[in-house]
Amino acid sequence: MVVLKQEEMLSLAEDAVRFALKKGADEAEAFLYQGLTTNVVIERGQIARSSRIIDRGLGIRAIINKAIGFSYTNVFESNVTIEKTVRKALGSAKASKPDENWHSLASRKPLASVEKTYDRRIVELRSEDLVKVASVMLDAAEKTDKRVFPIEGGAGASYLSVAVANSNGIANFDYGTIIECSLATIGQQGGEVTPVCFEFNTERSYNIDPKWIGKEAARLAASALKAKKIETKSTNVILAQSAFQDLLYFTLIDAVKADFVQRNQSAFKGRIGEKVASEIVTIYDDGLFSGGLRTWRFDGEGVPQQKTLIIEKGVLRNFIYDNYTAKKEGKESTGNAARAGYLSTPNVEATNFHFMPENKSPEELISEVDDGLLVYYLQGAHSSNPASGEFSVVATPAWKIKNGEIAYATKGAMLAGNIFQVLKNISVLANNERKIGQLVAPWILVENVKVIGK
Amino acid sequence: MNKPLPKPVFEGRQCLKDVLMKIVDRTVQKFGAEYTEVRAQRLFKTMLTLKEGRVEAAKQGIENGAALRVLVNGAWGFASVGALDFETLNEAISDACKMAKAASSRLKTPIKLIETKAIEDKVVAKPREDPSKISIEDKINTTSKMSNVILGFDNHVKSCTIDYLDLTGTNYFINNEGTYIEQDKLYVWSRITATATEADAFSFSREEIGSTSGYEIFNVETPEIVGERVAKRAVEQLKAKPPKGGTFPVILGTNVVGVFAHEAFGHLAEADLTLSGSVLLDKLGKKIASNVVTFYDDGTIDGAFGSFKYDDEGIPAQKTVLIKDGVVVGLMHNRETAQKLNAKPTGNARAEDFRVEPIIRMRNTFMEPKDYSFEELVEGIKAGYYLKSFRGGQANLDGTFQVGIQEAYEIVDGKLGEPVRNASISGNTLETLLKVDAVGKDFELWPGRCGKGQTAFTCDGGPHIRVKEVLVGGSA
Repeated sequence: MVVLKQEEMLSLAEDAVRFALKKGADEAEAFLYQGLTTNVVIERGQIARSSRIIDRGLGIRAIINKAIGFSYTNVFESNVTIEKTVRKALGSAKASKPDENWHSLASRKPLASVEKTYDRRIVELRSEDLVKVASVMLDAAEKTDKRVFPIEGGAGASYLSVAVANSNGIANFDYGTIIECSLATIGQQGGEVTPVCFEFNTERSYNIDPKWIGKEAARLAASALKAKKIETKSTNVILAQSAFQDLLYFTLIDAVKADFVQRNQSAFKGRIGEKVASEIVTIYDDGLFSGGLRTWRFDGEGVPQQKTLIIEKGVLRNFIYDNYTAKKEGKESTGNAARAGYLSTPNVEATNFHFMPENKSPEELISEVDDGLLVYYLQGAHSSNPASGEFSVVATPAWKIKNGEIAYATKGAMLAGNIFQVLKNISVLANNERKIGQLVAPWILVENVKVIGK
Repeated sequence: MNKPLPKPVFEGRQCLKDVLMKIVDRTVQKFGAEYTEVRAQRLFKTMLTLKEGRVEAAKQGIENGAALRVLVNGAWGFASVGALDFETLNEAISDACKMAKAASSRLKTPIKLIETKAIEDKVVAKPREDPSKISIEDKINTTSKMSNVILGFDNHVKSCTIDYLDLTGTNYFINNEGTYIEQDKLYVWSRITATATEADAFSFSREEIGSTSGYEIFNVETPEIVGERVAKRAVEQLKAKPPKGGTFPVILGTNVVGVFAHEAFGHLAEADLTLSGSVLLDKLGKKIASNVVTFYDDGTIDGAFGSFKYDDEGIPAQKTVLIKDGVVVGLMHNRETAQKLNAKPTGNARAEDFRVEPIIRMRNTFMEPKDYSFEELVEGIKAGYYLKSFRGGQANLDGTFQVGIQEAYEIVDGKLGEPVRNASISGNTLETLLKVDAVGKDFELWPGRCGKGQTAFTCDGGPHIRVKEVLVGGSA
């Protein structure tokens, strides 16, 4: 399949917009997405498969009398199929109901520049190269501990490109790369099986360390063996990034989305300027973060991405907006319209949700805890109450910290609380910042979390 | 358009079959593949999102694509492309073979597939109300009505989101062993959520509707019935109090039994995960649950959200017994795991669409009912909880499960008490299955979606059951 170039993608998008206007749309927008991915997959201790996925398509929004229609296709066989898609978007708009709050599509603005979002070396990786990467990871895991079984993982390289055009003159193109490398493991000994442990790198540049991933994934699973049940009590909890991301994704991140605020679904509604977190907490939604997993020049509506201050020294400063929610309040979009490729209309979503780090190393952080838990992974965060921020999850596993040292793994301990209380109880942020999904954050220490054990 | 795009090479179904056959033949001859399959799809979707009754956008989509999978030197190669013409598929199959060769370089144990009978069949969907023939206006009317019921239920209800999806189309499956199946796809799905607030309390309530029979599902799950169920829960939860954390006897509602059967047990019995080291690995043929526990995974229930005639390896779906009277008797398989464990294939290989490979997925997973009435179940409990409806659940290979609850009540001296909010239960699946001491005679199946890297449409359910003790995680 031929890879579409910048000019081709832009002209397809602009032609679709023109055609929609000609056929009676008041406004129109076209979003083109192209993704090429090569994967090598580890299954049950061996490299067992490799795949290549080429996915591209076009999504069109057409607006007639403030009613919005959307249609998408991945069929690029001829101009006819694209014109048919435009007609379907128009048909959808005509069938739909007007939205009184609709103002207009986004307007053209100068784009900011972004750094470290593309690396030619990733595009050139073949499956043979990824097999090597995966092998290094597997070998490192096997050498580290015989009680560890690598259950799944792999290495993947993607090239993505997007184009957005609309009837307000937007015609933007961007491209980027992503490389991922991960290993999930379990520890087994004398009938005991640990929960699944994992380690990974996801980067925009070819800057991965498969040997470290393999070693670390094995070390974690081995140290999760001989787990013990613990007592119920309120205690200090260190959340590593995976656990923290899980909790935030289903609670805090929704609460700062303008859509949730406007629709009375956010506990932060009407609280701009109030203290909502511990004084050491400063958070940006940074769509321009260097090498960020969600760093792009523009968002799903062609609006430039930007760096937005969310919480400053504990005080709530801003929410994040797409074009629709911003115009509803007479504001400017913060460049937070996200799309699921070409398959969906835009939604408000965080870009790189950046908790600013402090100075302590993770070792220092642990050494200062007399009694507490180190939590790497959580299970069940998606069952949190998204409106209230209440959660009740299992730490799988956590490690007990005693007198400043990791003592043993715990079994089946539950953590219960409210994310908004957690924000207030953060007492230390470490210096070991890393990227995972939308989150960029270090380890955090939270005081007074309820742990339910035996 | 400026750029001349290639003309379609074929039109119509017969021609697609010829293209697919040619591709399969070439793969075996040219690349020496041990196994080849092509899954071609033409899919049509209609989607709606309503927020407080406002139609955010009416959406329609068309997708064509093919998934090509080969075994070469004992390793899998896979390619997915969004086109169905011979040139593109021919290039993709060559890619898939190269992928497989690269992967095979480090193979320790070559992959083999269990032998199966070749099948030729054509499965035509026969909905009473075909969603693809119902106008978008009608679909907007139905979902708007539901939205009005929810927002008008009580002034504490502050928001309501309704997602609607229908998917129709045809799947064309061919392999080099003589199987050729054309199978229609038909799904109607909706997720309805509402929030309510009062002073500082926030509550959240959700329901899903899902069917493979047709749009007629809305005649049973009417806007009024579903709307009231969602709104009433959101409002009642405002008055609810947090549970006490600790170990308690509980009654699990049909909806929670379903998520337990699916999440806590089902995933461990997916043979790929069993082989990865799940706690069930050495338990086949052994007693792991109390005598009253029997679990099925059944792909043959007419119209249920997890039903289909053939899976994505061309294997007929069937009713699979997983636990019989407390003993593990079966796992869910694809052709690879069936060969590895010397079992019969069960028809559990499913792929969300042509972009992904088939993997082992559940269908309709449920517990078999027995003989207790609800009152008899509750009577036996002095202090515990009735966990009626779940918000989400998740399991781990070591058997740790967690189920978050959206609707629960106290049980005090054998009677239902006050509503309880944001409870969740957790424990070890095997320990918990041994503690099931009474099983109800009622039965309900609930539609849902399961994520395992890709989404599958499923159902789960069962009767009400009583569990002697389970860890209930309270709020802070």
